[in-house]
Amino acid sequence: MGVVGLEYEDLVLYAVDYARNLGAKYAEARHHKKTGFEVFSRNGVVLGAGKIISEGIGVRVLVDGALGFSSANKLDKESIRNIVERAFIQAKAHSKLMKKPIEFADARVGRATYGVVEKKPFDRVSIDEKLKLHEEFWKAASGSVKEAKVAVFFAEYIESIEEKIVANSDGAFIRSRIPRIRIEYNLVVDHPQKGTLQRFEEYGASGGIEWLYEWKISEELEKNTKKYEEVLLKAKEPPKEEIDVIVGSEVVGLIVHESCGHPSEADRILGREAAQAGKSFIKPGMLGERIGNENATVIDDPTIPGSYGFYLYDDEGVPARPRYLYREGIIYEHLHNRWTAKIYGVESNAAARAMDYKSEPIIRMANTYLKPGDYSFEELIEDIKKGVYIKSYMEWNIDDIRWSQRYVGLEAYLIENGELKVYVRNPVLELTTKAFYSKIDALGKELRFYAGTCGKGEPAQGVPVWFGGPDVRLRKIRLGVAPR
Amino acid sequence: MKDIVEISSKLVERALSEGFDEAATIIRRNKRTMVKIANSEPSVIQHWTTTEVDLYLVKDKRIIVVSLEPSSLDEVNKSIKELLAMAKNIRESPLYAPLPEPETIQPIPEMVDKKILESTEDPSKLAELIIETAHRETKVDYVAGMIDLTYGEKALATSKNARLYEDSTSLQSYLRAFSGEDGSGQWAVGLRKLDTRKLEEMASIAARYAVESRNRVEIEPGKYDLILSPMVFGNLLDLIGWMSSAFTIFMGASIFMKNKPGDKVASSKLTIIDDPRNPELPGSTAFDDEGINTYSKPIIENGVLKTILHNTKTATKAKTKTTGNAGWIVPQPWNLVVTPGDYKLDELIAEVKRGILVTNNWYTRLQNYVEGLFSTITRDALFLIENGKISKPVAKLRIADKLPRLLSNVEALGKEVYDIWWWEVRIPTKTPYILVRDVHTSKHTV
Repeated sequence: MGVVGLEYEDLVLYAVDYARNLGAKYAEARHHKKTGFEVFSRNGVVLGAGKIISEGIGVRVLVDGALGFSSANKLDKESIRNIVERAFIQAKAHSKLMKKPIEFADARVGRATYGVVEKKPFDRVSIDEKLKLHEEFWKAASGSVKEAKVAVFFAEYIESIEEKIVANSDGAFIRSRIPRIRIEYNLVVDHPQKGTLQRFEEYGASGGIEWLYEWKISEELEKNTKKYEEVLLKAKEPPKEEIDVIVGSEVVGLIVHESCGHPSEADRILGREAAQAGKSFIKPGMLGERIGNENATVIDDPTIPGSYGFYLYDDEGVPARPRYLYREGIIYEHLHNRWTAKIYGVESNAAARAMDYKSEPIIRMANTYLKPGDYSFEELIEDIKKGVYIKSYMEWNIDDIRWSQRYVGLEAYLIENGELKVYVRNPVLELTTKAFYSKIDALGKELRFYAGTCGKGEPAQGVPVWFGGPDVRLRKIRLGVAPR
Repeated sequence: MKDIVEISSKLVERALSEGFDEAATIIRRNKRTMVKIANSEPSVIQHWTTTEVDLYLVKDKRIIVVSLEPSSLDEVNKSIKELLAMAKNIRESPLYAPLPEPETIQPIPEMVDKKILESTEDPSKLAELIIETAHRETKVDYVAGMIDLTYGEKALATSKNARLYEDSTSLQSYLRAFSGEDGSGQWAVGLRKLDTRKLEEMASIAARYAVESRNRVEIEPGKYDLILSPMVFGNLLDLIGWMSSAFTIFMGASIFMKNKPGDKVASSKLTIIDDPRNPELPGSTAFDDEGINTYSKPIIENGVLKTILHNTKTATKAKTKTTGNAGWIVPQPWNLVVTPGDYKLDELIAEVKRGILVTNNWYTRLQNYVEGLFSTITRDALFLIENGKISKPVAKLRIADKLPRLLSNVEALGKEVYDIWWWEVRIPTKTPYILVRDVHTSKHTV
């Protein structure tokens, strides 16, 4: 990273030392740089390009049991001294309001440099090729419909590189570099009598241009837009009686993110997010309790190569590892940072992530998935007399303790006697967390991941995550229907 | 001239001298302190000193928008050079329109409150005040929330010679109070001036709803008349506000995609105003990102769609005039104000035979933005209304309906308005409680 990098290394170490000298019990500093380039288009026509550079240093200190954070993007010693003093003074001023002083658990922090190497770096492909992608996508989507038309196809291509130097007063020193690529689109299929159908989709991973060959987005768009037209024109109401439901991996991924990942965040369990994203149905002391059957194993793993949520050390310097949040139906492990680890009397499992230099590290998921089983799709549906297969969704939400949730299917099929039949319109899967994990009766063998940006914190921080799983079969579910 | 105006101006000159045809720069410099509260104590105190530089650059009708939080000005200058090479490689934008000629800007008086400025140094007393106020309700067990104080400066320079500066203070605060097994209440406030009475009122409402919503009972989902609190209607207004932006319509994410101004889109009782010159609300600004005077305008007036929000680009495309809502690319609402009605809250409740008073919600998501098919999950206090009176607190339900229908079913509006600004209401909003007839609700089936 050359001389410039060295300068920032010095500043980061200076910040930690300076805070310790002021009297902070713990100090941490992070140089955090994000650069990005994006192109956005509508109906294949490029509207413009964007460039993003965000660079600065964030400092966090623990003083008399209170936590202070401050950041600046002016990177000289004076500016860094100022933010360290600010964080220190304000933490101290608020320490009088602390009833239960904050402490951090000991951790075996790392000293390491790591990065993701692109197989095909962004600069190996001309801007022109990146623009042509948009035209290709548009042609694929708009050319595949017959009776309806694609009214709007809004697409964005985003490439970015995130570089960090994290140091703290316990000796952590981590340098990292993670490039990421993301494509998202909004598709509106319109028919004069039947109305509209809308699909948002997001692709994301760590790495470079090579992902475009993996994703084959144009092919997918051509195939799927045709299906969306049929859903719009032909879909029937879902059955009203109790039926079996095949929940597609895309929906399963979202479900485990929402109803296992989030409620397993220990800061949320302890009430730190109570006024924002809420608390958790999991209360302190509930580890070991049953939440589902033996098919319910959910893992959050930051170390999956190529994943959108990839990292090897968290922003507190702790080495990352897979975390078994639910294991064979049991609430098994929470996501921890060093503060919650102290309260639980465990070691942090490296869930502290910060969005950018302006953000404090907080407990986040990385790549959350339901452990697959050994059924092929055909085997999952072969004995279903009547059922619905929900492949994708648009609308969803979950309550603020992560118990009651709703997913509205977009591409969905009626299953009759083991075969996919007609399309079903907007089937609503609305169930509790316990119901979902208790009713998984069979797991597909194919594990698929989906990209998203997970929001949490105040100010809100969005971080890249994958969520995934196999297709799963639930028995005896009564689906709802979205209001017409 | 303030220093950031000078810097903006130099960056514009630099961009032109490098070969760009048009340029604009906005520099935002903020000093901001936030105390986050959980379990009735601070969980973290955050302070930021930031300088953000946004650049708008045009070469041969090719548009580049740049967002920089640079470590130095050298970096910005270096970027400008690289960007010119990039600009030559992208395509002419169908959105392109020349930047507008500069206007004489009518400033908004009293945008800066010294008390807020001072409190950014040490907000611990204010944090203590809201915690303590909520705990005056002795049945409140603990509270969570935050208080956020900002002094912000904004400078705009354009290649049409606009040179503008504005500074302002703002305060955002919200509190969620918990009581007993299941009681909780939340409220929020957004202000330009420090007003401890309003902070206390915010904390008291949260506390009162927490205590009153203890011992909830389950009710069946179905169609209900709903009284939506300013927190809830504010959340839906956020969506409506964004959906009234010409760009949102253009990108296929608006219920107004098939509408024109003049169409009836809501109950005749509903009027929603974009109100950028309201000095009380923290979204206020005298000029937009293109240097045009902002002005107050109805988005919906007596149920009729009146204004689509435009910048010069979207306006040129739609053969109309800018509404002073730029965003260089995306026009945006500044503050949303609902014209109040003449009902007291009790009188609104008296209008309801069987319905629910919904005090808070979150996680609003749409199946289809064009049709407005959505659901949102309620949280905190919910009260069943029977025969014109609140009968009991009830457990949460989803509101699951269509936005256009909900807007059409607005029946009556309260006379008292609240300034709401929080996590789920991103655009500062002034709205009363609102009665909406026949709204679909739903709940998990298993």
